[in-house]
Amino acid sequence: MPWAGGFSAIDRKPLKPEVDIMTTKGILEIRNLGKAFPANGRKGSLQALDGINLSIRPGEFVSIVGGSGCGKSTLLRLISGLDDEFQGEISIGGAPVRGTSLDRGIVFQDLRLLPWLTAEANIALALENSGLSKADKRQAVAEHLKLVGLEKFAQAYPHQLSGGMSQRVAIARGLVNRPGLLLLDEPFGALDALTRSRLQAELERIWREEGITMILVTHDVEEAVFLGDRVIVMEPGPGRIRRELRIPLPRPRRRSDPRFLEIKEDILREFTGPETAEAESLEPAGRPLAEARLDWAA
Amino acid sequence: MSRSALASGSSIRFSPRPFAAGRAPAPVRILAGLVLPSALLLLWHNASTRGWAPPQILPAPAVAWSSFLDLLASGDLRTHVQASLIRVLISFALGSAAGLALGLAMGLSRRLDDLFGAVFHGINQVPTLGWLPVLIVVVGINDRLTHILIAQAVFVSVAINTQRGIRQVPERLVEVARAYRLSRTQSLRKVVLPAAVPQIFTGIRFGLANGWASLVVVELLVGSEGLGYLMSWGRQAFQLDLVLVAIVAVGIIGWILDAGLARLEGTFTAWRTGEAAA
Ligand SMILES: Nc1ncnc2c1ncn2[C@@H]1O[C@H](COP(=O)(O)OP(=O)(O)O)[C@@H](O)[C@H]1O
Ligand SMILES: [Mg+2]
Repeated sequence: MPWAGGFSAIDRKPLKPEVDIMTTKGILEIRNLGKAFPANGRKGSLQALDGINLSIRPGEFVSIVGGSGCGKSTLLRLISGLDDEFQGEISIGGAPVRGTSLDRGIVFQDLRLLPWLTAEANIALALENSGLSKADKRQAVAEHLKLVGLEKFAQAYPHQLSGGMSQRVAIARGLVNRPGLLLLDEPFGALDALTRSRLQAELERIWREEGITMILVTHDVEEAVFLGDRVIVMEPGPGRIRRELRIPLPRPRRRSDPRFLEIKEDILREFTGPETAEAESLEPAGRPLAEARLDWAA
Repeated sequence: MSRSALASGSSIRFSPRPFAAGRAPAPVRILAGLVLPSALLLLWHNASTRGWAPPQILPAPAVAWSSFLDLLASGDLRTHVQASLIRVLISFALGSAAGLALGLAMGLSRRLDDLFGAVFHGINQVPTLGWLPVLIVVVGINDRLTHILIAQAVFVSVAINTQRGIRQVPERLVEVARAYRLSRTQSLRKVVLPAAVPQIFTGIRFGLANGWASLVVVELLVGSEGLGYLMSWGRQAFQLDLVLVAIVAVGIIGWILDAGLARLEGTFTAWRTGEAAA
């Protein structure tokens, strides 16, 4: 497999000297978080998130599942510091999150590769202010291209890559500067099943070896259970936490394990039970309900 | 992507996307492009041989052609072309440099945009030659007049389009720059300018085309050299063949100037066709 070389091959270097390490070593605390967007045309506003409480300890892997429009991407944006306008508190190690930090990485749902940069240059963008030497940057980029199996595509532009390849470039860009906290917004959505399960295993390994705190938003309940120490189930209108469960299974997990299947079924019931209709009817107008159901078809 | 596909070649070549897939081969395209000019030439030929228009007004193509050869041989054509080109290039260089600087400033700073934006959009509504009467009064009828007028045309077009290009950079990409904490210079270089290049070039190309066309008009009135002067002189001497030669020269040179800029733009946007710049 192209990325079978794995992550252990990568030398760990002291990265991001200007970053305050203390902030990421502490607990991520989210208190009473709310976010409203000005509603278009209608009076009032759209409450995308309401009363979110969550604490995540350093090194934890938290999966977030929920249908479209329940505020998952919004939540990640707020944690990343890209959006400072919200109600409530977000802090890491007691220090409020204000603005972005190289120590809080994000893999965007819509990837956001720069069309005029090659795959290689897109990944290198994350290292621009890492403080690494030119040679070290080049090496880190090459190793991460290899990690996601795209070393032959280093010089390709995004429009020359398939959806799955672009997604892998985005993942490599998120990982390359070793943030203390990595936010992943449906990072495996466009991948075929085989590639997806390989990258899931690879991500788990990086998480284990590097001790990076990870928050993964996904549509795939199986993926959430496979990777998460905890699974947070969200619901829309306004976006809030519906349920939270700890996944007590030892790692590496087996998808065929009866306990694994049981947990998965349990979570899936949240979306197929009698309450589903109500939950979906709370979705913002304009979003087809079928979309939310289809999300779970896989 | 399959493993075997990767293993088979040591490196994968990225051929340009077949954007031009639906287009005919080059010789056919060139022939197609010649259809209309040939038809016009034929019409012109018929008009003069059948006496549709008196020869003083419409000289035969052969006459125009021999005038062209005469102008070429005497070096007059060269003198006039050179005079016009030097004027336009000096004005273009000044106008586009200043336009880029101000456009960047207005694109990056709301405050500057508030200060200058409205004025610029107002000025942009006035045709270049609309300033001629005012400028004649202020600087007189001389080469400075030409330079100022043309530079102004290029300047306004470049400034407005540069500002617009920068404002239109997608927020989602600007956020990438923020997420990786790029400095102002870094995000300008990696994100903002590449995104704005097409719009900036729209301004530059429009400015040059407009400047070139205006130059010829100004030369009709000002100076003793240049293609516009050649036209004006030909008209006064009732040598319409000279006027026709000058018109064709203006058209061809304008086209070449724009093609040069298009090519320059192509080097900045090579990524679209996959030819790595690095
Ligand atoms: N920039 C924005 N402006 C207005 N509304 C927004 C914006 N971003 C998200 N929303 C709204 O907030 C809600 C949550 O969106 P999002 O976080 O993208 O959901 P998810 O990622 O769970 O699908 C949706 O109703 C969406 O329309
Ligand atoms: Mg989302």
